[in-house]
Amino acid sequence: MLKNDLLPASVARGVIGRSAAVVAFLVLALVVFPATLGGDWIKTLTSVAIYAVVAAGLVTLYGRVGMISLGQIALLAIGTWTATRLSYATSLPFPVLLLVTGAITCVVGVLIGLPALRLSGLYLALITLMAAGAVNVVLTTINFPNGGKGFVGHTATPSLEGLKPVTRPGMAVGDTAYYRYTVVVCAIMFLLIAVHFATKPGRAWASIRESEPAALAAGVNIIRYKLWAFALASFTTGVAGGLFAAQLGQPTAFGFPTQDSLTLLAAALIGGIYSLWGAVIAGAFSQLAPFIFQAQWGVDPNFLLIIFGVGLMQVLLTAPRGIVVQMPKDILSLARLGANLFWRVTGRRGTG
Amino acid sequence: MVNFALTVFGVDWVFLKPYIVLGLALGGVYALSGVGVVVLYQATGVLNLAFGAIGAAGALIAYYFVNHTSLPHWFAYLACIVFGAVVNVAYGMVFGPAFAGRDPLVKMMGTLALALILLGVMAWRAPAGGAFVRVLQLPTSNDRYAVFGAVVTLTQIIALVFAFVLTIGTTAFLRLTKIGTAMRALASDREITATLGVPVRRVELAAWLGSGLVCGGAGLLLADLFTSLDYTALTFLVISSLAAALIGRLRSLWVTLAGGLAVGFFQAVATPYASITNYRTAAPFVLAIVALLYLGRHRTVTLSRTAG
Repeated sequence: MLKNDLLPASVARGVIGRSAAVVAFLVLALVVFPATLGGDWIKTLTSVAIYAVVAAGLVTLYGRVGMISLGQIALLAIGTWTATRLSYATSLPFPVLLLVTGAITCVVGVLIGLPALRLSGLYLALITLMAAGAVNVVLTTINFPNGGKGFVGHTATPSLEGLKPVTRPGMAVGDTAYYRYTVVVCAIMFLLIAVHFATKPGRAWASIRESEPAALAAGVNIIRYKLWAFALASFTTGVAGGLFAAQLGQPTAFGFPTQDSLTLLAAALIGGIYSLWGAVIAGAFSQLAPFIFQAQWGVDPNFLLIIFGVGLMQVLLTAPRGIVVQMPKDILSLARLGANLFWRVTGRRGTG
Repeated sequence: MVNFALTVFGVDWVFLKPYIVLGLALGGVYALSGVGVVVLYQATGVLNLAFGAIGAAGALIAYYFVNHTSLPHWFAYLACIVFGAVVNVAYGMVFGPAFAGRDPLVKMMGTLALALILLGVMAWRAPAGGAFVRVLQLPTSNDRYAVFGAVVTLTQIIALVFAFVLTIGTTAFLRLTKIGTAMRALASDREITATLGVPVRRVELAAWLGSGLVCGGAGLLLADLFTSLDYTALTFLVISSLAAALIGRLRSLWVTLAGGLAVGFFQAVATPYASITNYRTAAPFVLAIVALLYLGRHRTVTLSRTAG
């Protein structure tokens, strides 16, 4: 009886605490940052939000379902390409453009995921890496659209009219306004994923992650839910790609090297692959940290690669849940250690 | 030379001859890296993503010795190979046991950490800048031969021969020697092998050592064949080199060798055709995807974690 009475209250407290954290974070991102930070910071933070959504796709696939995809940056590139092409070909309102881009990327993601369902673990990871490599070769060859004709939409001699950047939404043309717009859209993507985690698909994914045979025996439709996870991760990544297209204006294939899929996974693992907050940290790690190192501190950004490698190794060996869980734990133990030392020192003084 | 066309399947093979020769030379390098990856994966379960980074770092060291010291060149090349072995063995000694019981994916990410660290150190100590291009040319690249209308260097021939020798040698080693048998036992079950009294860690270190030597050698050959010593490109060349290993399903050395040659073949043969020439670098990825899908067609749900 006692337990039943206690449980809802503790759950409610958890929900309130988490909601408060989310609200505080959004206030920070939407009000405090734009009011206090300059132009380059805002541009970088826009990229952080976009990459956080891509990392959230990894959290969904690996953290929830246990499937690893090393092709998320390629999907982001497909989303960016699609949005750029649509922006030149149509005059769709920006939210509709994002939705259509998300839907097309979703179809591509599922098409890649469908045959990959036959594989698991390492082989699934590697086939997605190979697919990412192939996508990169294709995109490098056909290039990003710049106002040309036909399906590809690339021309070697773009007109001045053709070189116009991807149109941003009318209400968010400036960098700061577009940053706010991006944060809101990304927050909606996170919400979409969080709702999935909390409801039936989330439970089905968790059961698949724990044991496929057990999930099968319990009546979970493995194929359907795995494809669902691919579809969700691809849709959100596609939307992020659409945001990225308008952020860059004139994207190129060089912005999406295949190895970035590997380093983003490393960032997601460091941030915390089992939590959506980890995805936010991963976005900051991959986009904000190089900016701070290079532009703000003038430190060779290659040191970051070394820190990155050491951090990844540490996460793999000692802290599999990443910074998002480890950091509060470490700070708490550090505080405890400090308090103990303090009492010991002051205590001794008192007696001596 | 008499010009005639030998048309089979609507393709003029005489016209393609030089490309085939170049393709096989290129394929030798893919095969070489692939075999090195497969041997280590079989013995330790580690898919070494740092393969390219270690080779590139070794080549950079060789470049330094050749251009900034008066030491004999053979010493520089030896240093590259030894560096590969030392880094690999050190990693295997320090992190091998810690990762032993973990998922293959986690083991792979561990080597990615090593690759990132090496890449960071390389970029910090030897920054690549603008027009400055490092070139590491082996003396064997000055010996050129005309084979079927294509000019190949001795280095390319060495790469191809080395790939064959390595495959034959490793196959024989695994079949005939005691430590080779232990490695095969490790590949099927680490725990049971340990129970049987096999010094598991020493056998694993032997695999790290062998794969490290191949790593250094491949790095040296690749740095030469790649026209410039671009360590970032060499580091992530591992992605396309994995294709050969994947075609061999990370298991068969001979299929890996054949896969590597096939990748090189298709990549080179696509060169003269304008419609597909820009897509030729996708050859490793496409072949690996096709092979993985074909081999995975009978997959069923199993309790085993290693089942692919």
